[in-house]
Parts: sequence; structure tokens; C-alpha cells
Amino acid sequence: MTEYAIDIVNISKRYDEHVAVRDLTLRVPKGSVYGLLGPNGAGKTTTIRMILNIIAPDTGSIHIFGRPSNDSKITERLGYLPEERGLYRKMQVRRVLKFLAELKGVRGSDAEKRIDEWLVRLSLKTPEKDWGLAKIDELSRGMQQKVQFIGTLLHNPDLVILDEPFSGLDPINAQALKDTVVELKQSGKTVIFSTHLMENAERLCDSVCIIARGEKVLDGDIDEVKEEHGQRNIALSLEGDGMAGIATILRDHSLVKRADDSNRFFEIEMAPGADPQALLRRIVESGASVQRFEMIQPSLHQIFLQKVGATGIEEGMSGNG
Amino acid sequence: MAKLWAIIKREYLERVRSKWFLIATFFGPVFFSAIIIVPAWLASRSKATSDVYNTVILDATDTGFGHRLAVNIAGDTTIAGRMPVVKLVPPSELTAAESVATRQVMRKERTGYIVVNQQTLAGESARYAGTNATSIADMAQIKNAIRNTILASRLEKVGLDNEKMKEITFIPLDFSTERITERGRAGSGMASVLFGFAIGFLLYMSIVIYGQTIMSGVLEEKTTRVAEVVMSSVPTDSLLAGKVLGVGAVGLTQQIIWIGTTYLLLKLRAPIMAKLGAPTVNFSLPDISLGAGIVFLLFFLLGFIFYSSLYAAVGSSVNSESEARQAASPLMIMIVSTGVFIQPVLLNPTGTMAKVLSLVPISSPIIMPIRMAVTGVPALELAGSLVFLAIGCLLALWLASRIYRVGLLMYGKRPTMKEMARWVSYAR
Repeated sequence: MTEYAIDIVNISKRYDEHVAVRDLTLRVPKGSVYGLLGPNGAGKTTTIRMILNIIAPDTGSIHIFGRPSNDSKITERLGYLPEERGLYRKMQVRRVLKFLAELKGVRGSDAEKRIDEWLVRLSLKTPEKDWGLAKIDELSRGMQQKVQFIGTLLHNPDLVILDEPFSGLDPINAQALKDTVVELKQSGKTVIFSTHLMENAERLCDSVCIIARGEKVLDGDIDEVKEEHGQRNIALSLEGDGMAGIATILRDHSLVKRADDSNRFFEIEMAPGADPQALLRRIVESGASVQRFEMIQPSLHQIFLQKVGATGIEEGMSGNG
Repeated sequence: MAKLWAIIKREYLERVRSKWFLIATFFGPVFFSAIIIVPAWLASRSKATSDVYNTVILDATDTGFGHRLAVNIAGDTTIAGRMPVVKLVPPSELTAAESVATRQVMRKERTGYIVVNQQTLAGESARYAGTNATSIADMAQIKNAIRNTILASRLEKVGLDNEKMKEITFIPLDFSTERITERGRAGSGMASVLFGFAIGFLLYMSIVIYGQTIMSGVLEEKTTRVAEVVMSSVPTDSLLAGKVLGVGAVGLTQQIIWIGTTYLLLKLRAPIMAKLGAPTVNFSLPDISLGAGIVFLLFFLLGFIFYSSLYAAVGSSVNSESEARQAASPLMIMIVSTGVFIQPVLLNPTGTMAKVLSLVPISSPIIMPIRMAVTGVPALELAGSLVFLAIGCLLALWLASRIYRVGLLMYGKRPTMKEMARWVSYAR
């Protein structure tokens, strides 16, 4: 038995001159929630497709639950929600779900039972209305997303892979998705999702991997990542309009490396070796009235910007890297 | 295997359940019966119509020729209203009489008028003007009647009595045609051409319609990303195979229903024709053996696989319906140009052109069955055609599966031919 749900060793995928994924190694612990982070075109989708055995890596190996990823029994333990979503528009909801279940090896009556449970659970089947009998294109967008989500989980997969699951979700469905991810983890499932929204990743993930331009930038347990890769930052806010007065202090590069205006507070990254107390003294001496001065952990967003750089995002190729 | 079956089942059931399928399957036989019954009905009309009775004969011969002609046209004088009206006109007033008759025709009181004069008696010329002047059968009837009347007058001059004259000039000839092939007599020539045309048209339409069905199905799966979900569960080739087989089964179902109901309609043809008031023409169907039927279905299946796999490749390489239409135009040209050759092949089914077209996989699935319907095809040619088509299918499938598995995952701009050629060389 292996402790990894996914064990990827040195995989590469190249299309003509363009390298989509270069020498990527990553391990997803069983039972964890794992975030695959990166700008658009970083190679997230390509990586996910290789995990799902939709495409094969040029080099390297992928093992899922200790078995090669092209093992047909393994594919039945995976649940996949692709990035842009849709289903057969003219098909009845129940029939779509049954079809998806059959593809994962769930047989007839068993599938019917599970479909009922899920439809009731996501309130698509109520005593007044059974949306299971409607056609997909009669459903609202939110309902379609629910149906697709059922399709992903119907066969009770051990590993759930969600590609950009939060894009296009309204706040209510986004919250429902987060709850489900937590539930899945609690029942021992492994969840891996890709996103470029750092806040979701920070709230949900046990571990993350940041990739950019097809290469891994960093990975690991989220607390360790923060510990290792971020200095302790300072959250600062002043009463009134005092910010103008300290502008010169924030521009002093012997003290402050960078200051990020988060509107309600400044997130300040100290210069190497600088003393936060010295900064506090300078601010107080300038006459500003300090409302908040707090040592905080850097956000994943900060680490991301720091490691990938703003250019990494802008240069990221659009489409399906 | 169970998963491939799931894909085939979905493709089949979803399409067979659709309204479109029900409508097409129902209207098919109506269309075919139209093809079979209308020509037969038209053929029955090739006997002259009652229009010929409603004419005026302007007789400028002063010999009673007009009256005899009227009797001849009417044939059976005991039936009321069948005698054309005869007007005796002095030659000098003929022009004025023609104007009067023309106006009568324009007022639709008469169908037309016949002018007979000295030239007619001499057997040189006669004239007819009327609304039915383009009706071949009507004109033939009038011309025949004039000839017979001239003949009768000449015989009378030689001194033959009336009874003898009738005996000699009465020739109620019924001219029927029948075609002979290597296999012997094969029904009427017209029936066989019609049958060949129906077969060709059926195959042509099926390939176009089901090819495009496959294309838009593939496109839907691509744009909705269902393809990715399916590909994460089954190998890509299974998805393609399931699609082609599922839709192919739909096509086969439809053809079998069409062929079955058309067969029934043919059996019921005589009563239907009787109801339409048309006399039953001797119109025996080409004699199609079970073996030939199976060969037809084989051609349909192989032709379908050849084109639909290429259509699937096109569907996978584009991102929208409008792009798909554009990208599919080379395929459309291949099929339509085959369609253009249907008629020439029907006219000369054993010519070099027909032989070549029935060997090339692009056209053979349509052309060969047509040839088989209208003429005997040597076994060697038939075997060659099937072998080439099977090889064509394998090549098309190979090419399509390679484009398909890359194309389904490529979004954004439409690929150039060069890029698609490179996809073929990609590893999975």
C-alpha cells in the first residue's frame, strides 16, 4: 500500500516547440485536499489530463493509488469535473447521469438508486418537481452545474479531480462546493483541484503545488510552504487619513521591501534583516495614529506573486497549457 | 466492452427517440412511394387524354375528310362527347376561321384546332394549334388519326369497301419494353432505372445526413467538455468507435424500416393505383436477391464508416457549427461530385467511367449499388470494389482517430491543414 493518492515522477509533455509540462514531480497524499495553482497556461489542465490518462506523458510515470494511471480499474476510482462545463443538452437528466455512471462501471439499478439519492440531496427532486425527468437545456445554469457535479461523484470515486471548479459559480453554489469538498475529505476521499484563485486554495487546501510555465515552482503542506517561502509580514492600518504621512517611511528600502495596499490595510514585507519594531517606532514618531500593527503570515497570494511574479501571469499563455 | 456498449447504446437510443428520426422514418416511405407511384401514374398518362376530343377540325378539303378524321380521333363513336367538332371552311376563309378558333381556345372553350386542306389529302402536311401542343401522347394520337384517315381515303380511291378498310387500318398496338441483362430478363427498363436512382439517392442522402449527424455530435461533446469526461473513463478510440457504430445502427434501422415499408407499398401498389383511377401498367420490379440485398447494406455500412469517420475528424478539429460547415466542405464536395455522376452512370452503367467510379472508395459506396441495380456486375469487379472500400475505411478510421484524439482537446483557433497533418504524427 502506498500513502500517495497520486505519485507523479518527472513527467514532461511537449507539443511541437511548446513545452506544456516540464519535468514535473508531485505527490498528493491520500485523504488530502490538494491545490494545483498557477496562472492560465501554466500547464494545470495538461497535468490533470495526464493524471486522468486522457493524454499520455512523453516521459516520466504517473501512479494512482500505487497502480499505473492507464489501468482501467483505476479510472473507475476517479471522478472528474472539467473546466468549462456542459452536458448533452437534449438529453434527459437521469439518462445523462446513468450514462456517466455506466462509463464508470456502475450497473443499472444501483445507478438508479444513487441518482435518486443525489437528486434529492441537491434538491433537484422535490415532491413538487422532479428535474431528473427534464432535459438538460430546460435547467438553469446553476442546476446544470449541480447535475454535472452529481455526474462526477455518482460512482463514489476515491479521487476527485476538479478543474477550476469555482469559475462561473454563484456564491451559493460556490459555498455548496466548498462544503462538499470538506465532506469528501472527511469521508476519506482525496480531492485535487486546480485554480488561480488563491483565496479558495488557502481556505481549502492541505497541500498545494504552484506551477508556472510548465514547471513546478514550489509544493508541499500549506503551512510549511508559508513558513518556508514567506517572511513574516506586517498588517498595518492607521486611523483617519494618516497613510499619506508615512509614505516616505514605506519607501525606505532599508526597512520595507514592498508594501501592498489591500485597501483596508497595508501588507508590508520587511527588508531582509530589518526590525519590525524599528518600523513601528518610525511610524509612531511620524505622528500617525496606529489602529492595527500585526505580524501576519504571508498570504498564498503574496507567495504566489513573489515566486511567479506578476509577469508570470501576464505571460501565461491563454488556453489550455 | 461494457463501456463501449454504453456509448453505442446512448448514441442509438437518443437518436431513435428524437422527433427528427420519427419524422424522417415516416416520410421516407411516403417519398419513396411518390417516386414509385408518380412515374407509373405519369406513364399511364402517356395514353392520350380526353383533350384530343375537345378539338375543332377546320376542314378546307371539301371532301368530307374532316368528318372521317373526327370519327377516327373519337375511336368509339358510341360514347357521347368524343367527337371533335368539324367546321367546313372554304380555303379562302381559312385564315379568318383560324382566328375565331384561336379565340375559342383562348377562352378555354376548346383545347385546340386541327387544320386539314389539300396538302393534307396529298399526305404532305397538317397543322394543329392548342394548349396541349407539348403533350407527346396527344399529338401522337392526332397524328396517327390523320395518317389513318389519309390512308383510308387512298384505299377508298382504289375501291376498297368500308368494312375491309376498317379491318386494314385498325392497329391497336400496345408497345411494352423490357430490359435484358446477363442474368436474363429483368423487369421493365424504366423500373430498373428508377430503382437504381432510388438506391443511389437513398445512399447519398444517408451518408450526407448521418455524416453530419456524427460531426455535430462530436462537436457538441467537444464544446460541452463531455468528451473529456468520457475520455477519462474509456480510451478515445472507444468513444469514436461507439459513436460511429451507434449512429450507424440508427441509419441501418431507418433503412430497414424504409426498405420494409417500401416493399409493402409496392405490394399494395396495384390497389393504390386503382384508387387513383390509373390503369395498372405492367410494371414488374427488378428481381433483387437476398444476396444482393446484403451487399447493398454492406456498401451502406462501409460507405457510412468511411465518410462518418472523416466527419468525426472534422467535428473534433473545430469549435463551432459555422466553422464545422466550412471545414466539412471538402467532404461535401467529395459526396456531391459523386451525386453528379449518378445520372451518367444510370445511362451507361457498364462504361469506363462507371467502372472507375465504382472502384474508388470516395464514390464506390454510392455508384456500385446503382450499377448493381441496373446491370449485372462481374463478381471480380464487385469484390475489388469492396476490398478497396474496406481499405479506404481502415485508412479513414486510422486518420480520423489520430486527428480526433488531439482535436477534441484543442480549443481556440481552427487548425490549419498543416497543423492537422502534424496531429496525425503525435503520440497520444
